[in-house]
Amino acid sequence: MDIGRRSFIKAAGAVGLLGLLPPGRVLDLLAAPPGPGQAGQFLSADQLDTLRALCWRLVPGPLDGPGLLNPPPGSPDPGAREALCAEAIDILLGAFNFDPPMVHAGGPFSDRHGPTHNDFADFVALDKHAELGWRIRLEGSLGLPEREFAGPVEGLQETYQAGLAHLDATAQSRFGADFKDLSSVQQDLLLTDQSDQQLQGFVGTALSNVFDAIYGPPEYGGNQGLAGWGYTNWDGDVQPQGYTDDQVSTLGASPVPPLHPAAALAAIKLAPGLAGRAASNSSPWAARRPFKRG
Amino acid sequence: MRRPSVLIIGSGAGGSVSAWALTAAGFPVMILEKGRNLIPGLGGVAPLGSTFGNDDVKAGRSFENQDPLLEPRTLRSQQDAAIGTERSYIGDVNSLPTTVGGGTVHWDAKCPRLWRQDFKALSSHGPVPGANLADWPISYDDLAPYYDRIEYQMGVQGDITRMPPRTLEQAPRARQFVMPPNPPIYAGLVMSQGAAALGYTAYPFPMAVNSVEGFDGRPRCNSCGFCSGYGCPINARGGAAVSFLHHALRAGAELRSRCFVYRIEMASANRAAGVSYLDADGVSHTVTADIVILAASAMETPRLLLMSANADHPTGLANRSDQVGRNLMFHFFTLGAALFQDDLHAFRGPNTTFVVDDFIGPDTPPEATAAGLPYLKGGILEFGGGIGLFQEASLYSILFPQGGKGHKDLMKASPLRAHLAGFSMVGEDMPQAANRVDLDPGIRDVYGHPVPRVTHSAHAFELAASAYYGPRLAAIGAASPGALASAFIPVGLLAETGPGNPVGSAAAGPASTAHVMGTARMGDDPMTSVVDACSRAHEVDNLYIADGSVFVTAGGFNPTNTIMSLALHMAACIISGDDHPPVAAVPGAVGTPTTSTAPLPVVGMAALGFGAAAALGAARFDHHREVDT
Repeated sequence: MDIGRRSFIKAAGAVGLLGLLPPGRVLDLLAAPPGPGQAGQFLSADQLDTLRALCWRLVPGPLDGPGLLNPPPGSPDPGAREALCAEAIDILLGAFNFDPPMVHAGGPFSDRHGPTHNDFADFVALDKHAELGWRIRLEGSLGLPEREFAGPVEGLQETYQAGLAHLDATAQSRFGADFKDLSSVQQDLLLTDQSDQQLQGFVGTALSNVFDAIYGPPEYGGNQGLAGWGYTNWDGDVQPQGYTDDQVSTLGASPVPPLHPAAALAAIKLAPGLAGRAASNSSPWAARRPFKRG
Repeated sequence: MRRPSVLIIGSGAGGSVSAWALTAAGFPVMILEKGRNLIPGLGGVAPLGSTFGNDDVKAGRSFENQDPLLEPRTLRSQQDAAIGTERSYIGDVNSLPTTVGGGTVHWDAKCPRLWRQDFKALSSHGPVPGANLADWPISYDDLAPYYDRIEYQMGVQGDITRMPPRTLEQAPRARQFVMPPNPPIYAGLVMSQGAAALGYTAYPFPMAVNSVEGFDGRPRCNSCGFCSGYGCPINARGGAAVSFLHHALRAGAELRSRCFVYRIEMASANRAAGVSYLDADGVSHTVTADIVILAASAMETPRLLLMSANADHPTGLANRSDQVGRNLMFHFFTLGAALFQDDLHAFRGPNTTFVVDDFIGPDTPPEATAAGLPYLKGGILEFGGGIGLFQEASLYSILFPQGGKGHKDLMKASPLRAHLAGFSMVGEDMPQAANRVDLDPGIRDVYGHPVPRVTHSAHAFELAASAYYGPRLAAIGAASPGALASAFIPVGLLAETGPGNPVGSAAAGPASTAHVMGTARMGDDPMTSVVDACSRAHEVDNLYIADGSVFVTAGGFNPTNTIMSLALHMAACIISGDDHPPVAAVPGAVGTPTTSTAPLPVVGMAALGFGAAAALGAARFDHHREVDT
């Protein structure tokens, strides 16, 4: 896609129509997400619908049908649909529609453990340097010399536009319909096709962004209803309350079921993943934070 | 008496300690930092604030960390280099925070001291084939008083009565810690029983975390769990910015953030005149000073020395020894995990509260001989820590790369979070001349300068030590009450297997530790070292280095406490003009921190007005002459 068209899409689809959201309006924005058939912050209505269908397979919930990724009896807990993960990814892609951009939530405290003001909703301003990095990350280097000092970079916006288009094209060629209109089994057949490396790279990117959206603080747009913290029994942000000495030093009661010995022996085989993986600039989604290395 | 003016490059551990000590002694100090300030109120009279939260998303979005898209680094192995491969990887290599306060903004605050034997590795234990082993030019006893002052100023907790005899023999301490240990993590208590069953001794890990309310005006840690790798939301954790730079700025030091220094300017062959830097708008400035201190990290300091080559120093400033950039050490971690039936909630608390010193070595098992090595050394073992939700989700994606119900079911059962207690041995790695930082010949950063290129391969020493100690670490997990499984991870072996390995990569090893050392080593001989025992460059009389670069050996210990203590020792040399300085030259009276202990509330960024921090340090010193270029 040439720069002119990209710029047009950005202007018409996002900034031009929706305008910049003033600070302090983040919570209002999250309370009124775009519905099916509505354009998002960056993605068109069609693109957002396709992304929704993708996200719902990656973290299925009770309304998402059976398939390879969600075999019967299905997941009783909320998933990407209920948590609004696709909508959160769209907010990231359109982060610069907001001032400050919705990249880094504020601190130190949300209003979930005491304070009446939610600092997380006051996003931190990017300075000129940080803004350039995030413009490159989201918009790509676009052939601009000030962005291509280390070579061209494909932005996340282009990754999603191209990835969603590829998903639909593949769906059309294999099943004669757009991805969102396929059965859940057909969708999963496409997503698990290891022979399509382009698609697998895109799924890797989307999965990494979906994890941010469902397991991160809700101020980024996902994890609505604290969906991702419920079924994982995760407390999320706990400041300024923290934990009592007893909660730190004694076993205490837990809603997490006991681990079966056979499950432990199976799970320990994943331990090498604790070594983590640093991300090259060409595949940042592949990063895995290591167990403590400092 | 007018004191000489001082320019400090970098506001991390070494830079902030230098600024604090020299400002207190009356030196006009200016600090240039390429990152921005994320701590509202720093250097002011109002309470410190925080822009950090319990926020995993932000932690993964180059908030305090260097953005690898703007400032990438490159990596290759020694084998790559031998066949002429310029680089095999571009991206995030060992990116410590690039922000005011440096790495300590999100460090784990663990503060062990090096041992006596570490300073005399060559003469105590003999050479290791293929390693560039040497003695340090100073001893533990030289440094001990400075460790003491750093620990009392920063607020290092611990309990001397629970430290093993060998630890106190190798690293004697003058007094009890300034505050008692944090509440112990439950998973650590359980693993301590496993350690005891095998004859090992676990004790409270010394760390710069407030276990009492109000030390240095900061609150008590409330064990939120978002510690190592996360900025502290309440400033309960001590560090370069809050414990040293804050007080230096209040005493008159000037901080300029978002200033990228690209060249050390020379007045003559052996005297630095100052530095040139780009400000936040990309405008170039030159500022002069009587003394220049490089404290930019063991990655950026050698880069800057190499970028400052000139006619008198054609291979890089202060590099006649050809040691600038060489002997790069990262520590060779051996990780592991034990899984338990119960939910151990190991994520709560400051990552880990227990340490074991029984694997530091040297040991001379048959495995050493078999590997052609005279001995093996490991390092301190910390255990009982856990992982958070994001790390867990990425772990299971190894099995389920398209997510789905299988992934979600694992997130619910949580074998590797709720039921996991981790362990981590900081392994000593050998200095090798071929492990180095140099200037990448093709890749430039946003400033238009060559990025640091790392060439690194593990020495047989680290690989053999990891293989030897690893099963012993895993045995502790297995011996802990309630353990169902335990395994160690030979990180180095993963690192060697390359990108085809689904659980490792060429960058899994060196690229992801937070310990960087050795690239401008200290020594008495100018032909084999870069700086002297006072951290002063052999070839440039008024140029000093105050970061991990000066380490001669890595030891098996978290390095920051030593970086800070060496910086304080350096400051004592500068202040006293004596290469064997009296410790009284630096501030910090025995038994009392030099700062207020009145409790102060920590308030949010919104309430405080984040802009206030940027206005600090606006006063300029006449002593630093600025020349617009």
